[in-house]
Amino acid sequence: MSAPTPTPAPAPAPASTDRLGTPVTPAEAEILRIYGDLKRLCERGDLPPCAARNARKALACIHVAANDLDLVYEHLYDLGV
Amino acid sequence: MPQIWPDEYWNPKNETMPRERLRALQLGKLRDLCAWAEARSVFHRERFEKARFSADQLRTWDDIRRIPMMTREEWMASQAERPPYGTLPAANPEVAIRLHTTSGTTGKMPLRAMDSMRDWEWISECWAYGFHAMGVRSRDTVFIAFSYAQFIGFWGAHYANEKLGAMVIPSGSLPTEQRIKLVIENGATVLCATPTYVLRLAEVGRQMGIDVAGSRVERIILSGEPSGSVPAVRRQIESAWNARCGDTAGMTEIGTIFMFECRQQPGGAHILEDHFIEEVIDPETGRPCGYGEKGERVCTSFGRGILPLIRYRSCDIVEKRPHTDCPCGRTFDIYHGGIQTRVDDMHKIRGTNVYPRAVEAIVREHGEIDEFQLVLHTHEASGRDEVTVRCEMKKGQEAAWPALYPALQKELAESHENLRFNVELAAAGELPRFELKAKRLVDKRRKGS
Repeated sequence: MSAPTPTPAPAPAPASTDRLGTPVTPAEAEILRIYGDLKRLCERGDLPPCAARNARKALACIHVAANDLDLVYEHLYDLGV
Repeated sequence: MPQIWPDEYWNPKNETMPRERLRALQLGKLRDLCAWAEARSVFHRERFEKARFSADQLRTWDDIRRIPMMTREEWMASQAERPPYGTLPAANPEVAIRLHTTSGTTGKMPLRAMDSMRDWEWISECWAYGFHAMGVRSRDTVFIAFSYAQFIGFWGAHYANEKLGAMVIPSGSLPTEQRIKLVIENGATVLCATPTYVLRLAEVGRQMGIDVAGSRVERIILSGEPSGSVPAVRRQIESAWNARCGDTAGMTEIGTIFMFECRQQPGGAHILEDHFIEEVIDPETGRPCGYGEKGERVCTSFGRGILPLIRYRSCDIVEKRPHTDCPCGRTFDIYHGGIQTRVDDMHKIRGTNVYPRAVEAIVREHGEIDEFQLVLHTHEASGRDEVTVRCEMKKGQEAAWPALYPALQKELAESHENLRFNVELAAAGELPRFELKAKRLVDKRRKGS
């Protein structure tokens, strides 16, 4: 049984530029913020299955959008995504 | 004021990105991918060490050549040594939600490819670029003529259309006649299948008394066979359905498509260059090929990190052309004529190279032919290799045969250094029909010939 982490780490400031150094648009900044929030949610150990699995599904989707827009490039397998 | 994006592109930021920025994006992703593979995949770590390559050596575009190329044989050998998945996986297979395998029908061991939740989102995303580029939108009804089994093929197309918001009609294992009824009765506007099967649907429809040209189908997305870019095949499909074709191509090793045709139909397909690096090399020497030069495509995929595919030799023969050949505004380069053939699909008959796709391009110029088969065999008395094209005529077109076969024989010979082709008439219904990758080549030659 994994140890619960009821208090997630504080959200780090989202990147202000994309991977090519271009300042992010307000819409891109919002995507990055949601992406970071979902990642932290998936790191928690105190979610019931219905929340844990659906949060992963949501993270998979927002990751694709963030990757398409060159905001992130990373793999999420360690989060089960 | 919110930005208004042009409707033409699925991802306007990248699809219209200046080439130098696109290269910078690819190089950055390649560096990260190699670092990931080096850290997490035993397969890659051992090969990188042997080649004395490390991800931090990737500083300029030319440094890509430092990365050792990988082959299907190496991947298969790894699976054989460490079953079931080999040493390629860069993550715990428990994270995967689905397993697909290649058919292994060519005598090769099937490759096992697994994907996670995120991988499937990425797989459908690549297809979404293609469907959107051909004009498919949420108002469309998309019929996917596909059996939804181990062949990964159109699974991604299905999910892409759900993502686009279109209404998808799956057809599972339904017989052809029922599929035609579903297309007509539900007013499908988009059809997605292999070129062979799209033609088959039209022919069976004709036999059922249904003129598919009068259906609501406006667009046909092709995949699974190289003939989706053969002009004669496309003309037959577009004429039979009164619809426009868009070719795509993918492979199980990446799980999705790496190229798609846009509405401008530039005689080829755009490479998804924000998700892949596609190199073209001389298959003999490994020398990079320039625009307009035919060579083997070497694929690096930025998706599916669980099975990192880095500089993978595909055996596909392609010809890259600059993006400026197409007026659509995309900066993604083009594979002219799609997948032109395969390195391992060349057959030498009495000193002449015979490529099945080249034979198909000639046969399909004759619209009266329904199906055909290419048979390679050894002449009993002389022991020499022979090539025979067996043709089945469309119902009602049989009377055209006496004039057709000498013309076809002449055309085949003229395009193959005067190699003599036998051309035979097959009985109605005698030749096999295909839903997925058509297998029209039958090699009956004696071993050692």
